[in-house]
Amino acid sequence: MKLLHRIISAIAVAVAVASCHHVEDYDGGMYGNFDALWSVIDEHYCFFAEKDVDWAEIGARYRARINPDEMKTTDFFNLCGDMLDELRDGHVNLSSSFNVSYYRRWWSDYPQNFDLRLVRQYYLDFDYAQSGPLSYKVLHDSIGYMLVTTMASGIPDGALDVSLLSFAEAGCPALVIDVRDNGGGMMTTTERLVSRFIDTTTLAGYISHKTGPAHDAFSEPYPFYYESAVGHVRWLRPVVILTNRSTFSAANSFVAIMRRLPNVRIVGDTTGGGSGMPFSSEIPCGWGVRMSACPVYDSHMQLTENGVPPSDGCKIDLDPDLALKGTDTMLDFALDLAADWREWYSPE
Amino acid sequence: MIQRLLLSALVGIAAAFSTRAAEPADTLRPYRPVTSAYTLGLGTSHICDTYLTPLHYTGIGAEMRYERLSAMAFDPDRWIMQLDARLILDATENPARNASMSGLEMRLSWSMMRRFHIASVPGLRLFCGGCTDLGGGALLLARNGNNPAQARAAWTLGPTVMGVWNHRFSRLPVTLRYQARMPLIGAFFSPDYGELYYEIYLGNHRGLAHVAWPGSYFRLDNLLSADLHLGNTSLRIGYAADILSSKANNIVTRHVTHLFVIGVTTESITIGRSRGIDPHARIISAIY
Repeated sequence: MKLLHRIISAIAVAVAVASCHHVEDYDGGMYGNFDALWSVIDEHYCFFAEKDVDWAEIGARYRARINPDEMKTTDFFNLCGDMLDELRDGHVNLSSSFNVSYYRRWWSDYPQNFDLRLVRQYYLDFDYAQSGPLSYKVLHDSIGYMLVTTMASGIPDGALDVSLLSFAEAGCPALVIDVRDNGGGMMTTTERLVSRFIDTTTLAGYISHKTGPAHDAFSEPYPFYYESAVGHVRWLRPVVILTNRSTFSAANSFVAIMRRLPNVRIVGDTTGGGSGMPFSSEIPCGWGVRMSACPVYDSHMQLTENGVPPSDGCKIDLDPDLALKGTDTMLDFALDLAADWREWYSPE
Repeated sequence: MIQRLLLSALVGIAAAFSTRAAEPADTLRPYRPVTSAYTLGLGTSHICDTYLTPLHYTGIGAEMRYERLSAMAFDPDRWIMQLDARLILDATENPARNASMSGLEMRLSWSMMRRFHIASVPGLRLFCGGCTDLGGGALLLARNGNNPAQARAAWTLGPTVMGVWNHRFSRLPVTLRYQARMPLIGAFFSPDYGELYYEIYLGNHRGLAHVAWPGSYFRLDNLLSADLHLGNTSLRIGYAADILSSKANNIVTRHVTHLFVIGVTTESITIGRSRGIDPHARIISAIY
């Protein structure tokens, strides 16, 4: 009997301890959903300090505007979206069945600097090879040209092998990689692409993550390395990368890694940034929430959340008047730079 | 008390390797039939994993279970062993019913229990001993982009208690049984609070393993069953409740299932060709 009593007591203590595993419950009304949204961001968002955002003040300001008696669902959604826009982050979204909030000013405040039709019509002559997000062709002045439109889907190894081999066989001295309007996607695609342009294990950057809900609770940045694509075709000759403000997220990381290579130049506009790997969550009404959660630094421990600038002397915009006449001034600049590679790169 | 339970389990394990050799050659060894149970469970599941979502998901829980019980060779009158293998499935939805979370877990448990006869109640026996449990699986929340899944893995040691009452209701022999298991110590996996599996893939394996104790990893696994002996096989009906609550790196995971269980049990004896059947040998069943 004494043993039984002790067993029951031990179980009771364990249940009491386990009940300390508290999970906040939010009600399904506007205030409950707002508080859940504010808390999710408060506990997981990673760039409060970099953006100098007082999230408590923002939360109080927007919460005071809630009026459950008069607000429609769409009004409440817009209010929440406006609050998220205060973070000025393209990786922060609120998703419902009827709308997705999206901070656009990281690219809408700048010239687009890219016209896909212009490139396809006047430079590729609608005659190019394509596999997945990769289009490629040797242009008239013997410069290889690769257009990578997204990192959201993988680029087949075969496409990379054949494209790079075709450039080598055509005697191309240099290559232009166009990642304008590439909104990112998977970091594994970035890794696969970078691996074709390095010949040894290369420090790609550092990654960190939140270790708790506090705004300053971060892990020690962890260095990560990319391996050279041994056994596949690699390109170790000069590379010019074309960027615009819509080069974002995983494409931004691609540029951040490549720009540290001695045979690479960045041409165009500063990239859109987005160096915080996003984390997803949700609130009681079923709306999804996405926010930057894991800062990714480049190999010099520099954060590229606000974008990667072009190389010195390589800042250029698309001339809209010339574009109407079939000239992509940015691509022309990149092709010229690639053709004159001896002026900026001396292989050892 | 906990130390004594663990000690008795360890002594039992040691005895399993030492007393067999000391057994007299002329002792008539009893037969130790194996009780095998194949059951299906279906019921409700409640999941909350704050790595994936702060919301509580509810829905259907199901399991397929194989259980094997037998008296142990070194002291069949007093010790039994139990092997329990389970495949657990969950299909749940969030409160708004616009997102679904799936769960898949494999668990393998091995227990060793001391048998106590309760003289005052005919047919009633109590068992207590130790249990080790190895489990692994994942929760999948497809709506999440970079954190769509949460892996689960744990290895634990802890006590188990079981009560078995063999009784005849009218003319039908029935075995009523209740068993509870609770891990006391072990290890379990958890990523860091906001760590993506991509970072683990990149090679950062720091801080993934955690000590499991009831304060960090509480699990109470219950089974209440009735085996209706209809002939050579028995029908098992019952209720299984599994309660898990863990916390590591500020990530809280809760998983509670209530299942109606139905299946069949059989009892079998393996007899060697050369030995044949000895009519004088005793038959010591684990629970029947």
